[in-house]
Amino acid sequence: MASSRPPVLEALDVSFAYSGKTPTHALKDLSLEVKDNEFLAVLGPVGCGKTTLLRIFAGFLRPTTGSVRCGGEAVDGPGWQRGYVLQEAAIFPWMTVRENVEFGLQAKGIEPSARKAIADEWIGLIGLSAFEAAHPRELSSGMSKMVEVARVLATDPSLLLLDEPFGALDAQTRTRMQDALARLWEQRRKTVLLVTHDAEEALFLADRIVVLSPRPGRVHTQWAVDIPRPRSFETRFSARFLALKRQICEELIPS
Amino acid sequence: MRPPVRVRRAVVSLLALAVLYGIAAEIGRGRLPDRVWISPHYVEGVQLLPTWRSLAEEGEFLLKSKILPESLAVSTRRVAVGLLLGSVAGILLGLLTGWAARLEFLVDPWVTFFRFTPALALLPLYVVWFGYGETPKVLLIATTVAVITLLGAHQGVRSVPRVYLDAAASLGAGGWLRFRKVVLPAAFPSIFASVRIAAGLAWVTIVVAELIDAKMPSLGYLLALAGAYPRVPQMLLALAAVGIMVFLFDLAALLCHARATRWMERAG
Repeated sequence: MASSRPPVLEALDVSFAYSGKTPTHALKDLSLEVKDNEFLAVLGPVGCGKTTLLRIFAGFLRPTTGSVRCGGEAVDGPGWQRGYVLQEAAIFPWMTVRENVEFGLQAKGIEPSARKAIADEWIGLIGLSAFEAAHPRELSSGMSKMVEVARVLATDPSLLLLDEPFGALDAQTRTRMQDALARLWEQRRKTVLLVTHDAEEALFLADRIVVLSPRPGRVHTQWAVDIPRPRSFETRFSARFLALKRQICEELIPS
Repeated sequence: MRPPVRVRRAVVSLLALAVLYGIAAEIGRGRLPDRVWISPHYVEGVQLLPTWRSLAEEGEFLLKSKILPESLAVSTRRVAVGLLLGSVAGILLGLLTGWAARLEFLVDPWVTFFRFTPALALLPLYVVWFGYGETPKVLLIATTVAVITLLGAHQGVRSVPRVYLDAAASLGAGGWLRFRKVVLPAAFPSIFASVRIAAGLAWVTIVVAELIDAKMPSLGYLLALAGAYPRVPQMLLALAAVGIMVFLFDLAALLCHARATRWMERAG
């Protein structure tokens, strides 16, 4: 069973401080595990160090103290094994959708013909086959974000890191993109770590939610999301969903 | 593409200017003095404001005698060779200093120094070093161009948004792939803008550079001779020739730029 396999990502007592005249403590003694094939959401208020945590996992920052291991090995710099979708729009505007998706495969040294087949598959899965030759300027920002997700997943990482992927979108588009991501995940189960400040997004997508405390961020509470899949529009209005949402929001906004 | 309307407007505006000039020249004919003091003597028979008719006659002479076509060919070749050499050198250096941050401190003071030194000031030095002939002229243009394109390429590389580099690194792209597929295309608009500016300045430079070791055929010397006599119709035509060449170079650069950066156009 999945539970018997070692965790994909293991963070142990991670602290991080941004240096300066008065160092800013972004994270303090944070420990968490991402299990194999799990969709984990890290939920926290703005400024609790969520992005810092993800950049540590992606390998762009080194924790001040503590350790991060991925697949049993210490994280040392960025790499495709920990696919990272940035919070900002990072789709390459000078490349077509196909070229974007093939970029990581090219970096991995995969043959052009195999590259094409893999890219075809992922572009199909996000429903953009008709747009494979389009440049990002022709896409909506929601679809651009899905291309970024597909670009990362095409390289077959052992862990997908998502940093507020739909934070910049309007509420309706965000809902549609969450549906698309949920469908994608239900088809291709991947180990995912999603960071967000949106409780509904976390509930809709994740199997498990870790709530962080305000800065310096540390694990406040954990929640198992026992809501059946596949999740749909109806899920958002089910009694269990709303009850959990209420409980989690009370954690987030202490009265 | 929009050009039709813009081109029509440009033609109308140019025609209007030409007609106004023609009227002014006709009014001035016989009224403006034709005797001017060019130290240390008076010169008779000077057309301060030549009419279109005399411009046409002068143009016919310059074309039939092959003076203008040959001068154009010689000067254009110098500008083209200098522009090519200078761009290649400048862009390569700029990419290097922009990408290899450790080199920057070595290059920075020199760039700052040359950036505010008109390359034309190097002309006497280049003549001493390289003698008369083609070399100093072409190298002077190349220097002008190299300084500008170096800055353009350096800036271009430096201002590649961090998110693209992070995304590429996170996808496992090594330095060379990142440079080729991310840094170069992202820096391209800035590089190209600097080449455009450099092309314009190259023409300024050549007109002056051709005053040293002045020989016909060359546009610079043609201008100088026309000024010495003085022969205003010839001067105006030589100026127009330089202007048209700058325009054509800029147009060529603009078309290449538009082709290469279609991805930047806004949709809709």
